[in-house]
Amino acid sequence: MLRYFAIRLGRAAITIALVVTFAFVVLRLSGDPAQIILGPEAPPEAIAAFRAAWGLDDPLWLQYFHYFGAIAQGELGRSMRDGRSAIELVLERIPITLALTLPALAIKLCVGVPAGIYAALHRGSLADRMVMMLSVAGFTIPSFVLGLTLVLVFAVKLGWLPSGGQESWRHAILPVLTLGIGGAAVLARFTRSAMLEVLGQPFIRTASAKGVPWRDVIIGHALPNAAIPTVTIIGFMIGTLIAGAVVVESVFSWPGVGRLLVVAVANRDLAVVQCILLLVAATMVSSNLIVDFLYGFLDPRLRQTVGKAA
Amino acid sequence: MSDQALPAAAGQTVFGRRWPGQDMPLLVKIALLWLIGMIVIAIVAPMISPFVYTAPNLRNRLVPPGTLPHILGTDELGRDVLSRLLISIRISLLIAFGASIISAVLGTTLGFLAAYFRGLVEQIVLMLADFQASMPFLILALSVLAFFGNSLPLLIGLMGLFGWERYARISRGLAISASAQGYASACRQLGASPMRVYLRHILPNIASTLIVSMTLVFPEVILLESGLSFLGLGVQPPMTSLGNMVGYGREYITRAPWIMLAPALTIVCTTLAVSVLGDWLRDKLDPTLR
Repeated sequence: MLRYFAIRLGRAAITIALVVTFAFVVLRLSGDPAQIILGPEAPPEAIAAFRAAWGLDDPLWLQYFHYFGAIAQGELGRSMRDGRSAIELVLERIPITLALTLPALAIKLCVGVPAGIYAALHRGSLADRMVMMLSVAGFTIPSFVLGLTLVLVFAVKLGWLPSGGQESWRHAILPVLTLGIGGAAVLARFTRSAMLEVLGQPFIRTASAKGVPWRDVIIGHALPNAAIPTVTIIGFMIGTLIAGAVVVESVFSWPGVGRLLVVAVANRDLAVVQCILLLVAATMVSSNLIVDFLYGFLDPRLRQTVGKAA
Repeated sequence: MSDQALPAAAGQTVFGRRWPGQDMPLLVKIALLWLIGMIVIAIVAPMISPFVYTAPNLRNRLVPPGTLPHILGTDELGRDVLSRLLISIRISLLIAFGASIISAVLGTTLGFLAAYFRGLVEQIVLMLADFQASMPFLILALSVLAFFGNSLPLLIGLMGLFGWERYARISRGLAISASAQGYASACRQLGASPMRVYLRHILPNIASTLIVSMTLVFPEVILLESGLSFLGLGVQPPMTSLGNMVGYGREYITRAPWIMLAPALTIVCTTLAVSVLGDWLRDKLDPTLR
């Protein structure tokens, strides 16, 4: 068990290191940081001073180490637009984004999982086909099209709800629905196929052959086994709580992390972009880690096979 | 898993004799027709578009659809929506095809390398695949665009990094099981180079599975490109793409919803068509992929 956790922790650390390396490489490839930060009209002396101050004349591997060190201490640079610390800027947007993504996650779980289970248990029925059709639609309709359609119907034509902004809870309804509907469709499809896979297993047949009531077979045998792949995708959804609303926030002018990222990318505000990138990586990795630990509890077999299944 | 690599199952591969077609459901036929139509449009777009797609006409701004000669109306600068739509289809499909091919080639190559060398190379490829799969691609793409600015070749190359890990995992797994089989070792015994064994013998045997995964990645590439362009960070004006049109049309959603509706519908229909076709192909060619 300890070995299982140790390997997972090691992998998480490697992933974070890869993201930091990615940021470093991309940052260095994109040009001289001194030039980028000071602007094209900076005098050569200023650039030389900057290079010396930030160790840009050091060999690359040394810079790489310094870069790691700075990030470990939480020094992620300052925004080029208003000079505020990038991490501060990003952190204050997080609750705003969570106000959308948490209710959306609740919708996904409360609608997607039951719909998938129901569809699998009634395979081939009208309800099953409806769920499948809706889930294909949910997958193929891009979130901005869904969002704009909702705006067109509920804000423009019916005038029931505001089309954008963040003044009250009513402003959150359309973006939350947009995020929730798409995610629920994906989750329903996933849960359905996980469930169908389990229902086809011999142990289900054994259980019902030995006289266990169908209801107990489902609750006792099918659901726990179908939970494993479903937990994976839910873990991924939790990992995207912070950065999963980039497009939807733009559609509804919601001033969250996603909006900040888009504006930062458009302005090439590198410190902010890098900060969000690392933050997203950290949340993804930690949610994957939690999922892996959950696996360990859900499926004791994984603890033993992890060494081989690299 | 190993069945489709056997020559006995070759009738099921793309290079086999039994290309399934007669028992195609109606929905799949419609999807196929739609896609063929899109590809034809993409090829001949500049020839058939009634107006120059960038030509503004300030006296004919926001003309509703159905008014001749602007069948689909005009946008905020009086540019013909139909002409823009045709060119957008061309650009979006160009990016989606280019990117899909890049990522398929890249992923398959890395998968084969992992299968051939095993050991450290395999571990590195698998680690990179894990990394790619665990990061939301949109965030990675946005950071690269922030650092490098934007151009069409960069955009295609960037999109080409999307989904490679799936091809890599599939081709690695299939190549490992295929190289353990008789035909691969027979070629080796006859003195064929590893390159020849992999490209001439193993690749055709696993091609059907790879093509199926391509149809599953393709709609996601379209959605990704249109999402980026919608945010104004993908295809840059004066060039236009489907997502780009929706992004600009959004400003006029109350007064002229047709500007965004036509490209939005095209995106949805196209991704839907590829998905329908892909699902059908998957069931037909390779039931092991789910």
